[in-house]
Amino acid sequence: MEVSLTDVGDVTVTTVVGSIDGLTAGGLQDTLEARIHAGRNQLVVDFAAVDYTSSAGLRTLLAVMKETRRAGGDFRLAAVRPDVHRVLELSGFTSILKLFAGTDEAVASFQAGSGR
Amino acid sequence: MLDPEEGIEVASLETVAAPANLRAILAFFAGTCAGAGIAGPVRHDLRLAVEEVCSNVIRHGYGPGRPGPIRLEVRELADRYEIAIEDRAAPFDPASAPVPDLTLDWEDRPLGGQGWHLVRNVVDELRYERLPGPGNRVTLVKRKPKNRR
Repeated sequence: MEVSLTDVGDVTVTTVVGSIDGLTAGGLQDTLEARIHAGRNQLVVDFAAVDYTSSAGLRTLLAVMKETRRAGGDFRLAAVRPDVHRVLELSGFTSILKLFAGTDEAVASFQAGSGR
Repeated sequence: MLDPEEGIEVASLETVAAPANLRAILAFFAGTCAGAGIAGPVRHDLRLAVEEVCSNVIRHGYGPGRPGPIRLEVRELADRYEIAIEDRAAPFDPASAPVPDLTLDWEDRPLGGQGWHLVRNVVDELRYERLPGPGNRVTLVKRKPKNRR
């Protein structure tokens, strides 16, 4: 798994490439939490190149979402692929996470001030 | 022609159920899928179920600092794949794992408790046998896509 971060105004876009599993979820969580602790609580994660997430990844997504919201921000996903989307649905995450077709839409949702 | 009931053993692995070995277990299964032509959604779903079951054995199966064995066996049958995962840990029937409450608000969602729920939903059948000695055998059953036999 590879992670890269880009700031777009007040929004931090994180691009993840690869699989989020029991080996990689902790590293992703550390990276995202470091951004939150640096005061960046509007996070978009580009999932276009994420082919897999296990419950270890779900734990990371939920932990980061909670941290951003408690800090007054949010954590939004973009471009989720079908296999991963099914896992998000099965785990009930699609009803609590905001999903967008692409990163541009996800970033714009923050800039438009749309709440959760 | 595969025997419809027995099938053939595609691959097996026996290792110690320790956190340091999760990488080897996941690599074993990835290699097995590549070698056996297991692909697409079937591979995705089996990969997920294998990771969840093996992670569970590693984290919860044995007492702290006293890891025991874990064994995986992948079988191909005419219409399905069967992956048996055995341990020598205290009895644990996956049917006893609670179903997560998916209606909770985000603030009330627990960070864990999704593993067995996902396993149950991505395989066609989840078998459990308690082994003498003690031990557990969980068998993941996934049917092949009908047009790709």
